Amino acid sequence: MEHEQVEKEVTRKSALIYLPISIGAALLFLLAASLTGNHPLVARIGGMVWVGLLSLIVSMPVVISRVKKQFQAVPLEK
Amino acid sequence: MTKTDLELSLPISGMTCASCVSHVEGALKELPGVSNVVVNLAANKANLSYDPRRVKLDQMRRAVDDVGYAVPTAELTLDVRGMTCASCVDHVESALRELNGVTASVVNLGLGAAKVTYIPGLVSTSAMKRAVRDVGYEAQERSEGANALDRERQVREEEIKRQGRNLIIAGTIGLIVMIGTFYDMLGAFKAFVPEFLSYKWVIGLLTTPIVFGPGRQFFTNSWRGLKHGVTDMNLLYATGIGAAYGIAVINTLFPNAGFGGEGATFFESAALLTAFIILGRWLEALTRGRTSEAIRKLMKLQPKVARVMRNGQEEEVPADEVELGDAILVRPGESIAVDGEVFEGYSAVDESMLTGESLPVEKKAGDPVIGGTINKTGAFKFKATRVGKDTSLAQIIKLVEDAQASKAPIQKLADWVAGHFILGVHLLAVVVFLFWFFFGYQMFFDPNSSFIMSPYKLGEIGVFGFSLLLSVTVLVISCPCAVGLATPSAMMAGTGKGAEFGVLFKGAEAIENTSKLQTIIFDKTGTLTKGEPSVTDVVVSEQPALNRVAGSVNSDRLLQFAAIAERNSEHPLGEAIIRGAERRGLQVVEPETFNSIPGHGVEAKAERTEILLGNRKLMKERGADFSALMPQAEALEADGKTVMFVALNGQAAGLIAVADTLKEYSAEAIKRLHKLGLEVAMITGDNRRTAEAIARKVGIDRVLAEVLPQDKAEEVKKLQAQGKKVAMVGDGVNDAPALAQAEVGMAIGSGTDVAKETGDIILIKDDIRDVVVALEVAKATMRKVKQNLFWAFFYNTLGIPLGAGLFYAFASVVISPELAGLMMAVSSISVTLNTLLLKGFKPSVGRGQRPASTLRLQPAQAPTGND
Repeated sequence: MEHEQVEKEVTRKSALIYLPISIGAALLFLLAASLTGNHPLVARIGGMVWVGLLSLIVSMPVVISRVKKQFQAVPLEK
Repeated sequence: MTKTDLELSLPISGMTCASCVSHVEGALKELPGVSNVVVNLAANKANLSYDPRRVKLDQMRRAVDDVGYAVPTAELTLDVRGMTCASCVDHVESALRELNGVTASVVNLGLGAAKVTYIPGLVSTSAMKRAVRDVGYEAQERSEGANALDRERQVREEEIKRQGRNLIIAGTIGLIVMIGTFYDMLGAFKAFVPEFLSYKWVIGLLTTPIVFGPGRQFFTNSWRGLKHGVTDMNLLYATGIGAAYGIAVINTLFPNAGFGGEGATFFESAALLTAFIILGRWLEALTRGRTSEAIRKLMKLQPKVARVMRNGQEEEVPADEVELGDAILVRPGESIAVDGEVFEGYSAVDESMLTGESLPVEKKAGDPVIGGTINKTGAFKFKATRVGKDTSLAQIIKLVEDAQASKAPIQKLADWVAGHFILGVHLLAVVVFLFWFFFGYQMFFDPNSSFIMSPYKLGEIGVFGFSLLLSVTVLVISCPCAVGLATPSAMMAGTGKGAEFGVLFKGAEAIENTSKLQTIIFDKTGTLTKGEPSVTDVVVSEQPALNRVAGSVNSDRLLQFAAIAERNSEHPLGEAIIRGAERRGLQVVEPETFNSIPGHGVEAKAERTEILLGNRKLMKERGADFSALMPQAEALEADGKTVMFVALNGQAAGLIAVADTLKEYSAEAIKRLHKLGLEVAMITGDNRRTAEAIARKVGIDRVLAEVLPQDKAEEVKKLQAQGKKVAMVGDGVNDAPALAQAEVGMAIGSGTDVAKETGDIILIKDDIRDVVVALEVAKATMRKVKQNLFWAFFYNTLGIPLGAGLFYAFASVVISPELAGLMMAVSSISVTLNTLLLKGFKPSVGRGQRPASTLRLQPAQAPTGND
């Protein structure tokens, strides 16, 4: 039971980190695509979604495993 | 690991690549109380230590499930007799549930049956039956219950069937999608293809069941993993297929959305990519099981039934229910069920499958028999001395299984690389997309160029579609599945191959270390030599006085006199002389008188002759003049032999030299080791002169003489300090510290009681040439590992730049996602097929002179009775 609660907390805390990272990366792409060149709107939106998705895939496992490690380290220190 | 920790070998299903290995390892490591987690992809097992007070088996199972894999379970139905009420049900259920490895048990009182869900390999049927019996009921296995081996095969066959079914769906529809996509290029064949197949919406409709049917596994598995912070190659496929399909749907439904329109629907990419990936999975499932064929063959040797004599009656019982002390009857042609000792009857038994001994071994009362071997000629009865997991065959199977589940250092590195590869690939996919979107498209784009295996002109695609397709191709082409398979598949084949020749590697590390050896140290006594003295030379005096006092004396006569004198002696040298005389067919009669002279020799009288046998001091004391024979005596001693002087009726009659003789194949083995480029050393407690004499005979390069048993490990250490990779070959009991100190310890001639042995390699037979076999198998295996790793990385090294469009700037060539999928499937298959080539490996030693395989039964010959 305790294990499941920890899992939920890890999921929540991780999402608060990786979601902003992914959305940030996507918005950064949109900004860059809008400022440079003459890219059509659809390409900019599509690119934003793709970059956001890949950023999510990259950041999710990294963030979740780090947060998990933090949670696991707590009882050891007690 | 603490004292309370238990070791566990947990079967895992669903792993396909090295990243899966790291995910499962990660998931298990995260559990409290779990340590030393090692996951083996080829064996589909996770070996770990755990504290049962802190973590339960079910938690481990859930942890594995959570990251997208499964711990396969099997079901078994037991007929339970004696249950009368609901409380009986509770008792039986609880008794079964308490067993480690049982995940669920449901008892049906009406049917008198208990359905048990358990993890194969962790708990045996007999343990379940015992548990039920212990709480007061009788249990019997229902005949439909499959054993662990059948279950393992069943699981593999189910996977082959599942992927085969997926392949038929994805392949057939994918082919139609491809024909429809290429409709305009069909020329004369157009007449045979309905035109509606080329309609985009029809192609879309056909692709959808492929993506959401056979392709669904990639999405569900990757999402389950992602939720728990793990990425695997399913994710590469899911993003690849998903992106291609998503864009195709948008371009079909909303052609004016700006993604390239109808000219850039990638349905065929999504369909063929799925089909090719599934083709790879199917072929992999087909071939992977074959690398563990050796263990399967060993398992098949396990007899199913035994004829146990109970109350004077012959009763056929399952082999795993034979108990210690049971009397078992074996008829000609039958397998011996368990290990035991013959107490009645006579026969010859084929033990080739376990010991490599090609001729049937004679068995009479008092002789041991090994479970799994086959009785050839007569019938006999034996008493069970080792049953269940204690039998030799069970020990060998366990040893080989453990070795196959272990991880070589080279594999740990490959797994680490592959495990981190996926994230790297996704990052690379972002970089590739950004590059082509912002720079590459403008700089290099050629509207007339096209993808390989795709009908589209790139000009129809546009900046987003072009960048996206290259990004997707990178994801698909980078799959490290071949990297994950490269080492474990070869290690499994190598350990199995070793077992075939009676060479048991205790782990993958033993194989890797053996392949790097530079120096082999042999223990002398019992390893290079027979370990018991025997007569080597008989020298007769040529003095005429001898004939006057003792009649005509030749070497046989001299040996006969000496043997008669030693007849009542218990000295090892005396026994050697008696054996020597008997081997020459000489009659050794009882002496008329006998007197032992402690520390010097013996004197006896026989056939009116006074015989004096002993050392030179004794001869000097008794006035026998051996001055004429002294040069020969000294030459024999210089050869490391012990010389005994014989005087007959007071006259010097001759010399008898006794020495520990070399084993039959010692010289051949050392010659072959030299051919392999190894330095060979010998370690012994003997004096240097004796040791060097032996060393000269067999061609030993380095002699470590006068070494006390407890100092042998120190000598090994000294060689290691010189930077040498050292193997020690000795018997597993006396030389244990030296075997442990060496990089590789080889315990030779252990027989089949392998559990007691120390050392990294166990050579079942007492044949020193098996050291060469071990080296050749290890080298062949490591060669295969390196070839596999080369091919695996070669595909990725070549594929990634190709997929990323690196060559597009120069050659206008871009690989399509479906071709990338095909390439990756080919990489996995080529690695597995390359490993399978190891099946044909035969060691150089005694080709044609020794059994080619211990697992293949040789035609038996009738026993001669005097072997």
